[in-house]
Amino acid sequence: MLLDRLSGIFFAGLGLLLYFVIIPEQTEAVDYGWMRPQSVPNACAHLLLFLGIAQAAFPRGNISIDWREMLKACVFAAIMAIAIWLMTQFGYLLAVPIFAGCLMLLVGERRPGWLIGGVILLPLAIWLIVVPLLGRPLP
Amino acid sequence: MKLKTLFAGVTASLLMIFTAQADWAPSGPITLQIGFDAGGETDTLGRVIAGEMEKQTGWDIVVENKPGGGGIAMFTGLAVAKPDGQTLGMGVNMPILVNLVLRGDKLPFKLDSFDYLATVARAQVAIVAKSDAPFDDLAGLVEYSKANGGALVAFDAKPQELLMKYVDAEAGAGFKLISTKSSAEALQNLLGGHVVASFAAGAHIPYIESGDVKMIASANATRHGYAAETPTVVEQGYEIYVDPYFFIAAPAGLPSDAKAALAAALHKAITSNVAKKAIVNSLKTDPSDLGPDGTQKMLVDGVGNVKKLFGK
Amino acid sequence: MIDVSIILAGLGDAFSLTNLLFVVAGVAMGQFVGALPGTGPVMAMAVAIPFTFVLDPLAAIAFLVGVNKGGLFGGAIPAILINTPGTPDAAATALDGHPLARKGKPVKAMKMALFSSVTGDTFSDIVLITISAPLAVVALKMGPVETCALMIFAFSIIAGLIGDSLIKGLIAAVLGLFFAMVGLDPEHGTPRLYFGYFELFDGLPLTAVAIGMLAVAEIFRRLANIAGRIKPTISIPEKQEKKDKNVSWAEYWSCRYTMLRGAVIGTLLGAIPGIGSTAAAFMSYASTKQASKEPETFGKGNIQGVAATESANSAVMGANLIPLLALGIPGSIGAALLISAFKIHGIQPGPLLFEQQGRLIYGLFGAMMMANLMNLLIGQASLRLWTKIISAPESLVFSSALILCITGVYVSTGGIFGVAVMLVFAVMGYLMNLFGYSVVIFIIAFFLGDKFELSLSQTLVILDGDLLAVIHYPVALALLMLALVSTWWLGIHAPRKSRRQTRDSSLD
Repeated sequence: MLLDRLSGIFFAGLGLLLYFVIIPEQTEAVDYGWMRPQSVPNACAHLLLFLGIAQAAFPRGNISIDWREMLKACVFAAIMAIAIWLMTQFGYLLAVPIFAGCLMLLVGERRPGWLIGGVILLPLAIWLIVVPLLGRPLP
Repeated sequence: MKLKTLFAGVTASLLMIFTAQADWAPSGPITLQIGFDAGGETDTLGRVIAGEMEKQTGWDIVVENKPGGGGIAMFTGLAVAKPDGQTLGMGVNMPILVNLVLRGDKLPFKLDSFDYLATVARAQVAIVAKSDAPFDDLAGLVEYSKANGGALVAFDAKPQELLMKYVDAEAGAGFKLISTKSSAEALQNLLGGHVVASFAAGAHIPYIESGDVKMIASANATRHGYAAETPTVVEQGYEIYVDPYFFIAAPAGLPSDAKAALAAALHKAITSNVAKKAIVNSLKTDPSDLGPDGTQKMLVDGVGNVKKLFGK
Repeated sequence: MIDVSIILAGLGDAFSLTNLLFVVAGVAMGQFVGALPGTGPVMAMAVAIPFTFVLDPLAAIAFLVGVNKGGLFGGAIPAILINTPGTPDAAATALDGHPLARKGKPVKAMKMALFSSVTGDTFSDIVLITISAPLAVVALKMGPVETCALMIFAFSIIAGLIGDSLIKGLIAAVLGLFFAMVGLDPEHGTPRLYFGYFELFDGLPLTAVAIGMLAVAEIFRRLANIAGRIKPTISIPEKQEKKDKNVSWAEYWSCRYTMLRGAVIGTLLGAIPGIGSTAAAFMSYASTKQASKEPETFGKGNIQGVAATESANSAVMGANLIPLLALGIPGSIGAALLISAFKIHGIQPGPLLFEQQGRLIYGLFGAMMMANLMNLLIGQASLRLWTKIISAPESLVFSSALILCITGVYVSTGGIFGVAVMLVFAVMGYLMNLFGYSVVIFIIAFFLGDKFELSLSQTLVILDGDLLAVIHYPVALALLMLALVSTWWLGIHAPRKSRRQTRDSSLD
């Protein structure tokens, strides 16, 4: 219940932030037409504020969070972010095997056959199909 | 007068191309970046031209799609690429010009951030109405609009809207302009009777042949080949036009031998039979390569014209 | 009128060995690319088009039609097997397809998807071949005002997908609508909410957002849940009874109304340009769920759910060709790709197409029918292959799936920016799931958002800002009434009924 309430407060806050800061800063003013660039975004911000308050006042749902799982998922997302950065610096063929290796080792895969398949063969196969065969560039 | 200088420029640059020594060759693969999604017109033409160029020169040419903002995203990257002749970009002039005029201070590039190599073709923009509409020209459309409390006109790009607003301001027609996502959608609204007139860029030609649609004006600077009897907006008394060109550029600072060799190779590829067929099929117009100087001039003049569209 | 000899000549052209080979190649490629996580039928088409430059027109179109049809079914495979849909409409298939797979019946679910996909496809192809011209004329009567009303009706269908919390469902929808606002605004063409990234001028790339929220978020969750000994991704009981592996005729037949409804919804929405298969898939799903005597079994592995979505989204593609061929107006991204392929081969879709290119068009119709048959045959073989592949350990399957998502989004959005967007939305999708905010509702609202804004702005211009003037548009008015009724029925009446039922049953 508490988390449900908090999520409502979060969205209400987001609505306020959008309406007072982000939307005015990120839209250009136009002086004609029935609909302006900020019309629909502002309506969304109002709805978020209203619905967020409603959710905080009358929370429904039962969120149960497995914090361990969430932490792990965040680690995977962070690894992916690093992999994307590596890809821009050192290219697909270097970054992707490292990425696959990290993932597989982290979830506990130790069998060499599957590791070779996932870390070397598969990325190479994908690269070969996309770059030479289809003629599409990869970093 | 304007045309004359343009032609002078074209001939001069073509002469330059053909007399230049074709001793420059890329030291690796050339990347042609397309400012639009895979499968669109720019992409299709770009791939055909790259294929022809590869065949004719033996250079290795890779085509890459860098969509975003009508080419802004691609040109942003192109402006900071190495000017070694191995990174080229293909886009359409209108979105670039509009953004340069409206928010030039926010754009990470300017017109002189690039060396211009070639134009591929000019898209033909027409103003059309259904055949049974009670008018045949712009003056008639203006009268119709005044008599009926505002005529609905569909457009699919900012410059078209501005052109119509310009006419509206001069004539006091009270047009009601409807934005659509594509010229196909604009045409669909015209055929369904939801708007009175619409802009169109090619898809209307079969409907002219079938007699469902008539052309009110050419919105380009000149008349269209398939409808030589229909006058332009300028000829009908409003000093305004839109001329969308597909063009190819490289980052500024290209060595002059590379520039000449690339321009010559592009010219040959653009005017080849294969490319010509693709251009005629998809744009209903012939290829028109203005050459490096002509392309640059087209863009510089374009800024002036777009400024006028925006009333600046 | 076109005479019979042209029709026969066209069909004769289609049923040649070369064309058969291109259809087979197209279907196989479409199914394969569509089945890889992180890709979909649109991407399969975009990749295939350059290959058709060198072919003659009929072979090129036969190939592309094959790719498209194969891709539509292929997209259901990862959705069912590992719950990583690559497109929003495949997300509808995953709702019931994946629970079936978890119960050890992945083959059954995929077969049902295949059969209903081919059924819906064939239905809409027949409509296309027989009555496309009159239907196209009717579709033309759908102006901006009517389209806007239809869009509101489509939004109201979402009410049927809202789970136990109305407020959370609405927040997810509003959030989806808001993110659809990024990019150029449809009426004035001024950029907004782009934070200096010019890549965002065209809005957030749908592929990146959909794959991030639907597929990558799920992969993160699954990876995080791997503990102890690594299992095969999907385990099918060794000695599975035949009825859990196959779809019997009786089962197929019991879905006939579901598939027919899906096919009709898909065909109607496909004939009207601009709505798309996502709305069709979810409309069909929601209405099947409501028509069912046991709506509570949906989302837990009801085979009817798979039949409803696959028949509808496959029917859209055939019907998309109705405005495309008759009017030259593409109804979807897939159709727009097809039209550019037509043009490159010198074929101008539009009013004169049947007169000028009659033989080619009947050749195309022949190829479409052939492609449906091949989809069925190749699909039977390929789903065995995918079941084999998917019995590999989870570690390998999910890390490869993630790599494929990165690669697919990189290629289809043309750069690393799209991949970054995908990651951001993956995290967001993961968190939304955790807190009980429906990702599927978000995606539908996101998908319809910019189209809705555009048609609303067009409507306001046409009505001179007076929304009450909509009473002069009977079709739009009827659609708005329908929207009201369905919101009440799906969003208020049905949940209340089901709550009452659970209460009653808990009293027993």
